[in-house]
Amino acid sequence: MRVATITFLGGLMLAGGTMAEATGDRDAGRKLANQCSTCHGREGFAKIPIAPHIGGESFGYISSQLTAFRDGTREHEMMTVVARNLSDADIANLAAWYSGHTVEVDLKQDPARAPEQCVACHGADGLHLLEDAPNLAGETNIYIDTQLKAFRNGKRVHEIMTPIAQELSDEEIRAIADWYAAVGLKITMVE
Amino acid sequence: MSFTKLAAALLLSSAMVAPAMAQDNMDKLSNMQRTDATFTYVEQDGATAEALRAIVPHINVPDGFEVSLYAVVPDARSMAVAPQGTVTFVGTRKDKVWSVVDRDRNRVADQVMDFAPSITFDVPNGPCFSPDGFLFIAERNRVLTFPAAEFFFEGPDPAVGVVVAKGELVPAEEESFNHTARVCRVGPDGKLYISLGQPYNVQPVEKLEMYDKIGIGGIIRMNTDGSGREVFTRGVRNSVGHDFNPANGDLWWTDNQVDGLGDNVPPGELNRQTEAGQHFGFPWTNASYEIAEYKDVPRPEGVTFVEPQVEMEAHAADLGMSFYNKSSFPEKYHGGIFSAQHGSWNRTTPIGARVMFTALDADGNAASTEVFADGWLDEETGEYRGRPMDIAFLRDGSMLVSDDFAGAIWRIAYNPKPAE
Repeated sequence: MRVATITFLGGLMLAGGTMAEATGDRDAGRKLANQCSTCHGREGFAKIPIAPHIGGESFGYISSQLTAFRDGTREHEMMTVVARNLSDADIANLAAWYSGHTVEVDLKQDPARAPEQCVACHGADGLHLLEDAPNLAGETNIYIDTQLKAFRNGKRVHEIMTPIAQELSDEEIRAIADWYAAVGLKITMVE
Repeated sequence: MSFTKLAAALLLSSAMVAPAMAQDNMDKLSNMQRTDATFTYVEQDGATAEALRAIVPHINVPDGFEVSLYAVVPDARSMAVAPQGTVTFVGTRKDKVWSVVDRDRNRVADQVMDFAPSITFDVPNGPCFSPDGFLFIAERNRVLTFPAAEFFFEGPDPAVGVVVAKGELVPAEEESFNHTARVCRVGPDGKLYISLGQPYNVQPVEKLEMYDKIGIGGIIRMNTDGSGREVFTRGVRNSVGHDFNPANGDLWWTDNQVDGLGDNVPPGELNRQTEAGQHFGFPWTNASYEIAEYKDVPRPEGVTFVEPQVEMEAHAADLGMSFYNKSSFPEKYHGGIFSAQHGSWNRTTPIGARVMFTALDADGNAASTEVFADGWLDEETGEYRGRPMDIAFLRDGSMLVSDDFAGAIWRIAYNPKPAE
């Protein structure tokens, strides 16, 4: 089962590499980020537990999620409101700004004990290994827990995440969330 | 007193039943067994405390009041001061409940550690006490109770009972990670009141009926053993603060209003509820503001929406609140309401991050509202130094303000300088 998943991901990784290209204007993104910074910080290090750290995510992941919030395919009490007026250019600019920061992680756990369903895309240390996957390092455990449950119950849909999450119990979800939450994360702003 | 015995008996029976439901260490704890859990301590004297103390001079309070740092408490949300004053329990929107202890009673906490580390908490935002010392913790989707918590918190494995089992507060698919920060209070009737925010900006019409039945977008009440659950308050968007008027038993609560309609609408709300089942308008109305999505949706029959007592400034995010029933503050504050404004997150010019005071008149209505404390918002840069979330009072009558942005509990005491 695990081998099959990895093969499948390998195919996607290739596709992702040719598809996503950072084309936004970072200066414009920096200005727009004013409306994000109360929750996500200017450098993308979250200021409130319900928000994920977005500094240093891939350009492709940030733009796909903002687009999903705008188009209503992903919903959130706050993000649905702020994303609905963003143009494609705004999204590209924001993605360029936030993806351009530098991320460092500090993994104190034994990598051999990392959750095996996750490492192929998210790494043992929670840094993304493919364009379409978010960093998980240092996220609040409840944020990861909430997202995995959203994939499991269909509120959030993704071709890889949906089937993986459907196999997980509440306890397994929490264990995965706790693993990545425990990884130290530092984001350095790049102007 | 008979309530005490009854509650104790009920708890005992719920503790006996609990092992049927295997989850984390709940089985062991329900049977008074030990786990190998250990405490996490929060340093109170280091660089963090120093940085927080540097915020104190920015905070403005009326003459005669004094602000200080009471404790370093990461992610500090709703608070519950134990009836005998030995400890204050503080919820978070993460996985910890903190116990905050001031052993030498010098009004600065000397020990902050996690409460019941053997339990896997999930957004344990809302602690509250019954007068006889049962601690309740309302999580995202479970409610637990801890008898004599103010004495048992010193060990990692306190006795615990399940009031509402995991997944039974709301259906699991209605969980979110924003409007699911619960608060609770034990009312004058001995029942447990819990707020249930609805998990949308404005809920879709097809959810209305189900939400109304469960009490999502409302406040529910139940006996302290979880039986007799009913919807007490209807027409709420996302309330994260309520308290009973000690003078007459009315339930007052704050509400957070719809985002994305503009900087100055709709107003935040402070509401007064005088009887069970009253409807406060949402999602049809936000105070005097009508919600466009619900313009053509029929309103519930035979129901008059109750208007808020106070319309607060839009998007300031009114959260935790408490009546002042102590005596050390000046007379004008006695019997009034202190409420925390968390501060806006998407207003063009940020607003909030302050403590408001609302005085009541002889009929128990709001008479006037004013800013009591502010300065957590840097007006020049629009950045927060801190964001007040909840208000509680120590036995000496001084105020605690929790702050989940700075990770602190601030103390505001009335301490006028002697006349020259």
